[in-house]
Amino acid sequence: MNKIISFIAKIGNPVTSFIIMLGAMFMLILQIIASIPYCLRRFHLVIKELFFSGVLSLVIISVSGWFVGMVLALQGYNTLQRFGSVSVLGSLVALSLLRELGPVLSAILFASRAGSGITAGIGLMKATEQLDAMQVMSVNPVSKVFAPKLLAGIIAVPILNVLFNTCGILGGHFVGVTLLGLNNGAFWSQMQDSVSFNYDIINSIIKSFIFGICITLLAVFHGVTSKATAEGISSATTKTVVHSALAVLALDFILTAFMF
Amino acid sequence: MQNIIELKNIDFSYDEDRVILHDVNINIPTGKITAIMGGSGSGKTTVLKLISGQISASKGTVNVFGQSLDNISEKNLANIRKDMGVLFQFGALFTDLSIRDNIAFPLMEHTKLPKEIIDIIVAMKLESVGLSGTQHLMPDQLSGGMARRVALARAMVMDPKLMMYDEPFTGLDPISLNTIAMLIKSMNTNLKQTSIIVSHDIEATFEIADYVYFMSNGKVIAHGTVDEIKNTQDPAVRQFINGAVNGPFAYKYQSNKSYQEYLGLN
Repeated sequence: MNKIISFIAKIGNPVTSFIIMLGAMFMLILQIIASIPYCLRRFHLVIKELFFSGVLSLVIISVSGWFVGMVLALQGYNTLQRFGSVSVLGSLVALSLLRELGPVLSAILFASRAGSGITAGIGLMKATEQLDAMQVMSVNPVSKVFAPKLLAGIIAVPILNVLFNTCGILGGHFVGVTLLGLNNGAFWSQMQDSVSFNYDIINSIIKSFIFGICITLLAVFHGVTSKATAEGISSATTKTVVHSALAVLALDFILTAFMF
Repeated sequence: MQNIIELKNIDFSYDEDRVILHDVNINIPTGKITAIMGGSGSGKTTVLKLISGQISASKGTVNVFGQSLDNISEKNLANIRKDMGVLFQFGALFTDLSIRDNIAFPLMEHTKLPKEIIDIIVAMKLESVGLSGTQHLMPDQLSGGMARRVALARAMVMDPKLMMYDEPFTGLDPISLNTIAMLIKSMNTNLKQTSIIVSHDIEATFEIADYVYFMSNGKVIAHGTVDEIKNTQDPAVRQFINGAVNGPFAYKYQSNKSYQEYLGLN
């Protein structure tokens, strides 16, 4: 009997913790939504965060996008060659990037570079009493720190996704056209023919918009709830990256099912 | 003399197993420097957090400036906090802001003063803590003592009625320690403030305090003027003042397992 109770407790404990975490996260969302007017009045706070999470992610996003596009073109070319349809390589690269790889990989890269930084930054502010100091100065940390980070993430991730896709397509073009000798006109015209702006590009941006909300929210939440120790901050940073990656992949499945 | 702060029958606990404060009664007289002393974990900082509204008492009433903090709205609490300044143990300066911006922070948030006036106020506050000319530096370019003084300048930039100092002397060299003590005393007198110092530094605190509360295990065990505390016969207070190893403050952790058991002798 005791073993059964212990087994139920073992399952119940993480489930309860997860529900409590969802509740706390929901409360945080409500507080952040209430802080949006403050952020809009002090938009320089959002711009500062945009620089940190967006501008400083440009290099990793564009380089990764370029390489992913190159690999896609290389693999696609080898496969398509067997069926004599290398001319659709442009479509293959563009659709793969726009529909799946672009939003997902740019979001995961954003979580690793900016999300972990957001968590560590907030965790350190908590450990060094900077959030408490703000509070006793009658300044709400939610409005001053958390909401600008969330808004910046929401703006940055879709833009980074567009950049990732652009670099990926250029990388694919470089391998397909410049290195493997595919016809330049065929590459672009096939792509133009198969990619729909409303269907593929807009959906890609919607996906990355949702991923942006999810990642920054997780990053802020793990920062706020981190223990004020070196180990606590390190663990919170890891959680941000792991949870973000899992959430992005799961959400991607759901969104793809509805969108395409 | 009126009390600017009154804590009545305060109980506080984070959960059922961890009682931090039990039946604490503290009155802070207006215009005086009141010290809250006691060993680590005695509940001193918790008292400060209750006064600043960072946490709420499980039982009892906290009155600040004549207003009860029980069920107070966020807006009213924010207004009360504008009359408070808090010096945190390690300064809590915003590491992404320059010294100028750190000190200007409350002014920029709560006033519509032009930049030129804010710069003048920042310069005056920095001069008062002896750090004029450090406006452009970042917090990581300052020593611990200097950072504490900048934090002091930031805490008093709104000219608060009440200043609270959380362990202001911890980790300072003797010169910085005396400088901070002198600044606390002079600001309290010159700016007609009320000050609360949470500290376990006997010498520096007794030098500047008017009244002392002594805490142990979440309770007030003694209170009185500095002379009364110095001459008290309470064994716990005497042990603390004399720094004696043996006495009511147990230095050994209360373990369920004996030392012999760990050695495998029992």
